Amino acid sequence: MDMGIGWVVIATLLAAAGGFFGALAARSDKPSRTAFFGMVLAFGAQLMALGWRGGLRGQCPLGDIGEICLFLAWSLTFFYLVTGTTYRLSLLGVFTTPLVVLLQLISLIPGSFETKVVRADTVDTWREAHAALSVLSYGALALAAVAGVMFFILNYRLKAHKFGGGLVHGMPSISRLVRAMARIALVGWVVLTMGILAGLLMKQETFSIHLMVASMTWALYAMLLGVYFVRGMPGRQLAIGLTVLFILSLLVFAKL
Amino acid sequence: MKLVCLGLNHETAPVEVRERFALSDVALDRETETLMTAAEVEEGVVLSTCNRTEYYAVVNGESGIEELEDWICKQRDYHGSREGVFYHYQAREAAEHLCRVASGMNSMVLGETEIFGQVKKAYKRSLEGGATKLVLNKLFQRAFGVGKKVRTHTAIQEGATSVAGASVELAEKVFGCLQGSSVLVIGAGDMSRKTARALQSRGASSVIVTNRSYDKAVDLAEEIGGRAVHFESWEEELAHLDVVIAATGAPHFVVKPQHVEAVRRKRKFRPLIMVDIAVPRDIDPEVGEIEEVYLYDIDTLQELAGQARKRREEQLLLCEDIIREEIDKVTLPAVND
Repeated sequence: MDMGIGWVVIATLLAAAGGFFGALAARSDKPSRTAFFGMVLAFGAQLMALGWRGGLRGQCPLGDIGEICLFLAWSLTFFYLVTGTTYRLSLLGVFTTPLVVLLQLISLIPGSFETKVVRADTVDTWREAHAALSVLSYGALALAAVAGVMFFILNYRLKAHKFGGGLVHGMPSISRLVRAMARIALVGWVVLTMGILAGLLMKQETFSIHLMVASMTWALYAMLLGVYFVRGMPGRQLAIGLTVLFILSLLVFAKL
Repeated sequence: MKLVCLGLNHETAPVEVRERFALSDVALDRETETLMTAAEVEEGVVLSTCNRTEYYAVVNGESGIEELEDWICKQRDYHGSREGVFYHYQAREAAEHLCRVASGMNSMVLGETEIFGQVKKAYKRSLEGGATKLVLNKLFQRAFGVGKKVRTHTAIQEGATSVAGASVELAEKVFGCLQGSSVLVIGAGDMSRKTARALQSRGASSVIVTNRSYDKAVDLAEEIGGRAVHFESWEEELAHLDVVIAATGAPHFVVKPQHVEAVRRKRKFRPLIMVDIAVPRDIDPEVGEIEEVYLYDIDTLQELAGQARKRREEQLLLCEDIIREEIDKVTLPAVND
């Protein structure tokens, strides 16, 4: 097995183990940092794998579906680690690991990583910045959607008076989840803005549909966040907006 | 030398007997001093709370515990029936009982933490008065260690066991920290007082009280350091609130969906906790359908408190194991023989 693929496998196993043992601890209502430490180690393994692909390409490793999924998983892990320590959102790791594992499993499907990689002769800095910042922003937007899913579960349990189990006990408060959702999405949107600006500056031979979809996504997130910050919005609507927007934009980009 | 414990508590004695044996802080000092002059008492600690009075003593001689009981009844001028009122423990049993008391396992509210401080205070008083020596010093230190271990290694103190506590727990699940939150209390009865106090103890800073009888609202507001508003104008306050506690005797709904709908935009759709502890209910259940409103009635709160009590009871066996393990480490003849 290629060493690079080996790092992806290790990252996947570490994230899965962190999520699994974190979920077990949550079920038994015991505080655990397993998911966090699993993700820290997975982050290291992801960096090694991305380093391997970047070395092969001689540029930012975003040239095939495997690399995009791996980069997105890395970005999601990165924002989780930053958010986990900033907002101390317990159980966010348990909810994030399944998505990280899924993305990495997709990248492990045979054919996801191109075997014959052509090393780049020249590098367009703006194109590199556009691709990297866009995928990075999706990491933050994915994390906001994960926080949205957590909100749905907690909100449903609290509204339906279902308090049993360690899940509700271990989760952060409703207010904290709403704040985290909005702020993480805002960070993602700011990074996406930079990505789009970089895209406008890159060399373009033809009209880029890719850039147009990115701009539309940017506008929809801007609208959602604008309404939340200016007018206010129930947490549930914000969670729906963030989750639906993330899934939709991911599907559109996958189709493209 | 023998360790003995003699006492009475909420399970063995009715309040009219307990109040006879209860001791104020000043009386406690005197009681300890006098206890030390009693025949055959080498060391002594007297613990007195609203639910229990207990004497821990190291005595000489065989008939120590009966003598001690006679002496205490004489001191308190008690001539009533003693049957089932007092409990006594000796040696290891006395040591284990002290650990149970310090851990809150013997309290009216299982797992409550206040008793730990009260036991500490009683011991300190005796220590400073020179009433403790080797046996009680070692034993109480061990009991404090056990109390801490029980609290950190088991779930004996987890979950709210009262309606007021359950309300606070739910509010914290929605808001996280209650620091600086605003509370409206509709109704000025005892349950309103208790719940408002519980929220204040967790940081709620602004409490507004309203009641049909404005004077009663003013009384309660003064008592808890809040502000009274006329019953006709409570709706105006809704825009700035985080928690609403309703506990009136009204036979119809006091809070209706249109009251909340009217201020949703102004509130910027912030979460709102509504606690209805009245029977018949004060808050229309349809209010709970509003997205950012979390509505809980008395049944839900009682169920939550009951579940917490059950969970605490399930921890008792684990606590007993810790106590046995820790008392096994005590090597004092007064405890082991």
